[in-house]
Amino acid sequence: MSVLLDVNSLEVYYGGIHALHGVSLRIHEGEIVSIIGANGAGKSTLLRTIAGDKEAKSGTISFQGERLPNASHAVVSRGISLVPEGRRIFSNLTVKENLKVGAYSRKDGKDSIAEDFEEVLELFPRLRERIHQMSGTLSGGEQQMLAVGRALMARPRLLLLDEPSLGLAPIIIDELFEKIQQLNRLRNQAILIVEQNAFLALEVSKRVYVLKTGQIVREGLACDLADDPSIQQEYLGLA
Amino acid sequence: MNLFLQQLVIGLSIGSVYALLAVGYALITSIFNFTNFGYGAVMMCGAFAAYFAVVKLGFPTLIGLVFAIIFAVFISLITELVAYRPLRKRKSPRLYLMITAMGFNIFLLNLAVVLLGANVRYLPSTFSTDSIHMGSIVVSALDVYSLFASLISLAVLWVFLYLSKQGLAIRSAAHDTDTAGLMGINVNKVSLIVFAISGITAGIAGTFMGMKYTVYPNLGDIANKAFIASVIGGMGSLPGAVLGGFILGVIETMVSGYISSALRDLFSFGIMILVLIFLPNGIVGKKVQDKL
Repeated sequence: MSVLLDVNSLEVYYGGIHALHGVSLRIHEGEIVSIIGANGAGKSTLLRTIAGDKEAKSGTISFQGERLPNASHAVVSRGISLVPEGRRIFSNLTVKENLKVGAYSRKDGKDSIAEDFEEVLELFPRLRERIHQMSGTLSGGEQQMLAVGRALMARPRLLLLDEPSLGLAPIIIDELFEKIQQLNRLRNQAILIVEQNAFLALEVSKRVYVLKTGQIVREGLACDLADDPSIQQEYLGLA
Repeated sequence: MNLFLQQLVIGLSIGSVYALLAVGYALITSIFNFTNFGYGAVMMCGAFAAYFAVVKLGFPTLIGLVFAIIFAVFISLITELVAYRPLRKRKSPRLYLMITAMGFNIFLLNLAVVLLGANVRYLPSTFSTDSIHMGSIVVSALDVYSLFASLISLAVLWVFLYLSKQGLAIRSAAHDTDTAGLMGINVNKVSLIVFAISGITAGIAGTFMGMKYTVYPNLGDIANKAFIASVIGGMGSLPGAVLGGFILGVIETMVSGYISSALRDLFSFGIMILVLIFLPNGIVGKKVQDKL
């Protein structure tokens, strides 16, 4: 499997705080990878740095063998889409317009955009029912589906999900993660998930990185880490 | 009744120019969260460009309007590139942007006084200047022209914002610039479009205000009225800016007609204060709320 994303000794400062200390990670084609860690471990900072929204002090991020540009709008056209924490949908726009904004950077023509539009609505049928509604009127779960759909409209090679379960009811979370796995199975979509809920993360991903105060302290296959007593104690709350 | 109708038409005409200018404020406020107080000077530059084209070069008014728009867009883009963008790049607080805008306004105004003199200049109109009789009321042709020019500009702007791809980009950036960036929208490109649009509105308004009130360096003070209009309507809201512009224009002419034109500005600012007390977000302004 070829390497899609290669992050190498990343150092990032957030305000005055040294948020990431030499973080390195790799994601291969078609993989679901999770980063777990407590609040303030630097998970979101890591995703935002990959997405070009934050600047790294040093270290490199390469995608498909090329260095990524240092501006979020340019990273999107290289094939990385971020679903930001807290969804951040454009509540002043309709559901349809939100999805259209997602395809803003694409240059491959109306037909293939229309195709993906259909595909997103098939994946999230609830969005089709609400297609002309202002997106601010959607429920939290529907807004998260819209945020994922909007990111997919850019047809990313790599999808970044920042705390997708945040603030959602358990039944909605199950549905959402079902869709995420479906995406990976059907489209071979590479996905990097940052998640506080370690149970979820270990369940859906193939590999997991553990981030603690800005450093990767563990990495491995999800099935191995799930059986590890120290991980169970610290992140799964099991004695 | 005749007086009322006559004042109403004049009020709508002035209101439409306020609306156009207020939209120029609101667009920038909605995206960059600061009030572009340099806008009045941009409008004044447009008016001088029209004066130059019509009086010095002898072009008809329509060509003067084109000159005004081009020059106002040029000045507007210069302010963005030279003054505002470097500040945004350093993530300066928006108060700094506002102060910079005021400084820019003072600079341009005084530059105009030094280079061109503070005296007023008559900007003639090559449009028909006859009065127009509508039933029993008589209004000046200029008022009717400026009403139509403003309404057409607002309609074109609406079509651009709601039906074009760049319009969609502007509306999403207005909601959340960071997330718009994550969608592949280059906010610096959006800023150029927005400052160009605000330059166009300033050029159109500058030409008509110049023909109505003559051309002089302080002409840009009229833009303060448009700022009041955008506060009344709701800062950063385009429908609010249009509504606020028309409300202010009609109230001003009614006060001038029925009470006294000396009290006109007292009413304008008084209304703004009332709106700020009872509707702090303006009539249709977006509510400030916590976002998850």
